[in-house]
Amino acid sequence: MKFLNLRYDFDWGIPFREPFLGWLITGVELTLLIAAVTAVLSLIIGTGLAIARVSRFKFLNIPARIYVEIVRNIPGLFWLLFFYFVFPEILPFGLGDKLHAYSKYSVVAGILGLTVDNSAYVSDIVRTGLLSVPRGRIEAAVSTGLNRLQQLRHIILPEAFRTILPPLGSRMIHNFKNSSLCMAIAAPELTWATQQVESITFRGLEVTIFATIFYIALSLIMAALLIRLEKHLNIDLTSIKGQQT
Amino acid sequence: MEFFLEQFANWKFYLIGAYPSGPLTGLTLNIVFALISITIGLFFGIIFGLGRVSCRRYIKYPCSIFIDVVRSTPLLMIIFWSYFFLPVLGAQLSLFWCAAISLSVYAAAYQAEIVRAGFLAVPFGQMDAALSTGMSRFQALIYVILPQAFRVMLPSFVSFFNSMFKNTSTVYIIGVVELTRTGIIISQLKPNRIFAAYMCMAIGFWVVCYTLSYASQILEKKLGVIDYETYKPEICRQDLVLFPLPKVVKNMLVSNKCK
Repeated sequence: MKFLNLRYDFDWGIPFREPFLGWLITGVELTLLIAAVTAVLSLIIGTGLAIARVSRFKFLNIPARIYVEIVRNIPGLFWLLFFYFVFPEILPFGLGDKLHAYSKYSVVAGILGLTVDNSAYVSDIVRTGLLSVPRGRIEAAVSTGLNRLQQLRHIILPEAFRTILPPLGSRMIHNFKNSSLCMAIAAPELTWATQQVESITFRGLEVTIFATIFYIALSLIMAALLIRLEKHLNIDLTSIKGQQT
Repeated sequence: MEFFLEQFANWKFYLIGAYPSGPLTGLTLNIVFALISITIGLFFGIIFGLGRVSCRRYIKYPCSIFIDVVRSTPLLMIIFWSYFFLPVLGAQLSLFWCAAISLSVYAAAYQAEIVRAGFLAVPFGQMDAALSTGMSRFQALIYVILPQAFRVMLPSFVSFFNSMFKNTSTVYIIGVVELTRTGIIISQLKPNRIFAAYMCMAIGFWVVCYTLSYASQILEKKLGVIDYETYKPEICRQDLVLFPLPKVVKNMLVSNKCK
């Protein structure tokens, strides 16, 4: 590194010194936790929203559309800040004070904010999938005597999820990357840990390198697993088709 | 209710800050950032995107690695890199350019993927036809391929501009006073107006983004480009694992039957 003439002396011991190592490890754990919980929650909420958006009942359809239009056009960061700073203020009956007293409220607020942000995008993706199921399949399901719920459960949703797996997967990877935004509300995840090390030792670069490598590695692994899953499902689909004909 | 009216009376502060007599802040700064990053990002995005479809490996692999690395890093990390690492290299940058550079890097990687998808959407026969009329490869690219590719790319550029505009809110972390920071400053000065301040912030973002997404919907209808989202991954997926990994690792990641 001498030839670059950097104005910085690398000290690779810093990430392994005691308080910092503990922060980084909890940071990694919390990043994974936030990403996993938001992924599951937003998948559930997003699927519900998508079903509401394609339904013919107006009292389901219109609120879901309004929700998606509002959430999709506002940055995810806003939702994090909103749930951390504003949400406890507007709660009645002193619930807000209890939330403020709860020491891990920043993590909860991060999960809430990311879920709200992500579920709108997920619902958009799922909706495309639901609309892409051929009409003939649904008619066939009706003619075999399935009711609406059974059609959804056994015919429409499985097919829809198979088609939307690629965009859904990349959305989830995006959500994993978005979890770094939680540092704005001081949730002690990985990015926050690196910034904490930086502000205490003024030597954040080593830790930032570690964190960047962690993010890149995990995103690429998730992408590779996704490809594998897609290929697996594709093979299944062709074999099913082969049996039918 | 009067809280809201009081904040709305303050609209100039949310929009431009104290601009003529002070620095430009507020919503206009977000738009400026989005425009700068998308312009620089388009320039480099075309270079990297075309580099990725090149058949020369010494061009293809660096471009692919740049795109994959930036795309799998959170924007926040890129911002911190440019905030902490560029001064180490000896660059003296203002906060504005620090934020603009990191957003441009981010935009370049994403736009490179859009450019590549648009390029691959043009049938290969077009290139052959252009070459057979005696054009050089560069001329064919400029006069035949790229105009058609841009037609395919335009809707996704608009929707990318939309998401880039939303991403500009992230740079508030390093202290750039754009709309998010403006809202936070106001809510800190007047803690009992916090709800109104956040709502004004949200309305500012919402109006611009909604206009943009409406525009992209109209463009998609006019240009007749449908299902861009669904076909793009199919092109990109085959070589998503682009690092020159050893074959053993690649076989572990991608199953044999589908090569």
